[in-house]
Amino acid sequence: MAAMAIRTEGLTKRYGDVAALDHLDLEVAPGEVVGYLGPNGAGKTTTIRLLLGLISPTEGRGEIFGLDCQRQPVEAHRRLAFVPGEANLWPSLTGAETLRLLGRAWGSRGSWGSRGSRGSRGSRGQVDEAYRDELVARFDLDPAKKVRAYSKGNRQKVILIAALMTRADLLVLDEPTSGLDPLMEQAFRGCVREARDRGQTVFLSSHILSEVEALCDRVGILRQGKLVELGTLAEMRHLSALTVEATFAGVVPDLSGVPGVSSVQADGRVVRCQVRGPVAPLLKVLAAADVAELLSREPSLEELFLAQYGAGD
Amino acid sequence: MPVISRLTAGRAVRSGVIFGYIFGVAIASSAISYARFYKTAAQRDALAAAYGANKATSALFGPAPQLQTVAGFTVFKISMTLMLLGAVWGLLTSTRLLRGEEDNGRWELLLAGQTTRRGAVVQALRGLGAGVVTLWVLTGLITVLTGLDTSVDIAAGRALYFALAMVATAVIFLAVGALTSQLAATRRQAAAYAAWFLGVSYAVRLVADAGLGLHGLIWASPFGWVEELRPLTAPQPLALVPIAALTAVLLAAAVYLAGIRDVGAGIVPDRASSRPQRRLAGGPTALAVRLARPAVMGWWVAIAVSGLLFGLIARSAGGTISGSSVQVLTRLGARGNGTDAVLGVCFLALAVLVAFAAAGQITAARSEESAGRLDHLLTRPVSRWRWLGGWLLVTVVVLLASGVIAGVFAWAGAASQHAGVSLPALAEAGVNLVPPAITIAGAGVLAFGVWPRSTSIVLYALLAWSLLVVVIGGVGATSHWVLDTSVFHQMASAPAVPPHWEANGVMAAIGVTGALIGGIAFKRRDLRGA
Repeated sequence: MAAMAIRTEGLTKRYGDVAALDHLDLEVAPGEVVGYLGPNGAGKTTTIRLLLGLISPTEGRGEIFGLDCQRQPVEAHRRLAFVPGEANLWPSLTGAETLRLLGRAWGSRGSWGSRGSRGSRGSRGQVDEAYRDELVARFDLDPAKKVRAYSKGNRQKVILIAALMTRADLLVLDEPTSGLDPLMEQAFRGCVREARDRGQTVFLSSHILSEVEALCDRVGILRQGKLVELGTLAEMRHLSALTVEATFAGVVPDLSGVPGVSSVQADGRVVRCQVRGPVAPLLKVLAAADVAELLSREPSLEELFLAQYGAGD
Repeated sequence: MPVISRLTAGRAVRSGVIFGYIFGVAIASSAISYARFYKTAAQRDALAAAYGANKATSALFGPAPQLQTVAGFTVFKISMTLMLLGAVWGLLTSTRLLRGEEDNGRWELLLAGQTTRRGAVVQALRGLGAGVVTLWVLTGLITVLTGLDTSVDIAAGRALYFALAMVATAVIFLAVGALTSQLAATRRQAAAYAAWFLGVSYAVRLVADAGLGLHGLIWASPFGWVEELRPLTAPQPLALVPIAALTAVLLAAAVYLAGIRDVGAGIVPDRASSRPQRRLAGGPTALAVRLARPAVMGWWVAIAVSGLLFGLIARSAGGTISGSSVQVLTRLGARGNGTDAVLGVCFLALAVLVAFAAAGQITAARSEESAGRLDHLLTRPVSRWRWLGGWLLVTVVVLLASGVIAGVFAWAGAASQHAGVSLPALAEAGVNLVPPAITIAGAGVLAFGVWPRSTSIVLYALLAWSLLVVVIGGVGATSHWVLDTSVFHQMASAPAVPPHWEANGVMAAIGVTGALIGGIAFKRRDLRGA
C-alpha cells in the first residue's frame, strides 16, 4: 500500500500550558487536495511547521510519504515544496537569483555545486527550468529586480514560483495568496489544478474560503488546536442545515414550529429559515400556503465555517 | 512626550544604561587598580618615563601626560577604548532606531500618525538624546563615586567633565548615524557608511599621535577633538565647539534630508535591479559567501589600513623605547627589539578587529533565522548541519584571510620604512590573531544553539569584556584569574614573541567544542524568530 502523503498520530505541540496543537490525527492521500481552515491562532501554521520539522512535537509524530518528519527531514523535504505566508527573502538578491538559489537547494540531492540538467525534472530531481520560466511569465514577475524593490505581492510570487517549479509530490501551502491581486490569484488556482491533474498532493492552509471551496477535495477545520471537522464538502453539507427562502403571495405561515426548521427570519412576505434533516414537514406547510417563489441552497463553506465557530466567536 | 520620542527613548535608554555601566566600571577599575598597584612615587615615575614619550602607545591610546597621577593614568589607559566603544554604540544605536525601523516597516505606521517625515526624525532624535544623557549620567555617577575614594581623589566637577568627554564620540556618531540613515537605503548600508567615517577618523588621529610630525592633523578628526578636551589633565573646553558644531550640522542635515526623500528609499540611489550572479546563488554555502561579502570587505579594508598604519609607525615608535619602556611593554606581553615590541602591541588592536569580524559572521547567521529566511532553505533538502557547517566554513576562511591580510599589510608598512621585519614573521603574527576569533565565534555558535535570542548579546559582551580586561590588565593590576577570562590575554604578542601554538590550539579547540555543542543544540531545537 502506498504511504500517505501526510500522516499524523496524536501530533501535539504545547508552549507551557497552552496547547497550540492538540493530538492531531490526520491522513492525506497522495493526489488529494486538502484545505486546512481555522481562525488565527488555531494551530494551522504550527501543524505545518511540525510537518516540516522546523519545530519538534511535544507528543505524537508526523510522516511525509512514510518518512518521519523529525528524524528524516531532508528525505521528506525532497518530496515536498513549501510556500510560507510571509515572503521574507534576501533583500540583496534579485528574483532570478532567489529562484536559482531555492531551485538548487531543492534539486541538488546533497551534491552542491553540481550542474543541473536544463530539461524537465530528471532522475536527480532537478528543477524544470522551462517550467520555471513559464511560471515567471504566468505570474508576470520581473526576475531582474532585487527583492528589496519588490512589493509584498511580487515577493509572494517569487516563493510561489519557487515551490511550483519543483513539481514536488507534495505542495504545502500556508496562506499562499496573501498579497496577490485577483488576477494572480486566478493564475495560482490554475497552477494548483494543474498540479492536482499531474497527481501532486496539495495541503492548503488558507483564510480565503472561496479559494478552498474552489480547489479542495476535502477540508479540515481546526479549533483551538483540535481538528473539529474533516471531510468532503458534500459530507459536511449533508450534516449541515439547508437554507430555504420562500416568498409568499398571500398570508405568511408560521414556520417556527415545523420539525427540523430553525433560524426563521421574516422580512415582509419573504421568510428565510434553516432546515436540518427531512424537508417533508416544511414542504407540507409550504404546499398549503400561497408560495410565489421558493429558493433553497446548500450552505457555503463560509457558512459551514461560521457555523463551527459562531459568527461572534 | 510625543510617541516616537517615547518609543525611541525607551530603547536608547535601555542600551545607554548597559553601556553607561560598562563605561563606569571600566573607569573605576582603571583608576582603582592604578592607585593600588602604583603606590610609590618611584613606581609612578618609572611608568611615566616608559609611556610618556612612547609613540606606539601614543598612536594607539593617545598621548600620556601626567602619568604620575591617577587621573592622568586613567585618561591614558581607558579613554581611547571608551571613545571607540562610544562611537560604535552611537552609530549602531541611531542606525538601528532610525533606518532599522524603516527597514522593518514600523516607521510607516508611525508616519501615518499626526506627524511629518521631518517631525518624526526630530522626535526620534530627542529619544536618542535621552539615551546619550543616560549614558553620560551613569558614567558620570560611577566616576564621581570612584573619585570619592581617597586613593583616587578626583573632584566631582572634573569627573563629570571626564564623563562628558567619554560620551562625546557617542554623540558625534549618533549624529553621523542619523545622517547616514537618510543617505542609505538599508540599515546595513547606513551602518557601513558611518563605520567608514569612524575608521577614517580614527586613522587620522592615529597618524597625528604617532610622532611623525603631523600633530596638526589632530584637528581633522572628531577623535582628535575629543582628545583635545584633555579631561582630568589640562581641560580645554574650547574643543567642545567643533564637536557641537559638527553634531549640529549633521543633525540638521539629517532632518532636512528626511523631508526630501521617500520613506523606504535613501538619498544615495539604490540599484533596483542587477545582473544575476549565478555562482553566488548556487546553494547555501555560496549564499553565505554572498551575504558575508559586503561586511567582510569592510573588515578587510579596516584591517589592511590599520595593519599598514601600524607598520608605517613601528620603526619610529620602536626607536623611542628606552629601558623602562621595554619593561612596560613586557607587561603587555611584548618582547624583542623596539620595532617588534611595538608591532606586538599593535597586533592586539588587529586581533580585536578580527574578533569583531567573527562576531559579525555569527550574528548574521542568527539574523537569517530570526528574519525567517532560513525557513526557505531548511524546508528544502538542506540539513541544519549542512547550512551551519557551510556558514562556519566561510567564517573560518574569512578569519584566516583576515589574519594574513593583517600580517601582509603590516609588513608592507614596516618594509617601506626599512624596519627590518620579515614577511613570514608578520604573516605568522597575522595567523596568530585567528585563534581568539575562533574562540569568540565558537562561543557565539554555542549561544546561537542554546539561547538563540541572546546570540549577539553574548558575543559582544564577551568581546567587550575581553577587550576591557586586557586593556585594564595591561599594567598587571588585575588578578590572573580575571586576565585568563580574556581571549586576547591568551594570545602571544607576535611578532615580539613567537606565537604560542599550544595556547592557540587550546583556544581553537575551545571554539570548535563550543561550535559543536551549539550545532547539536541547534539541530535539536525549534527554529525561533526575533
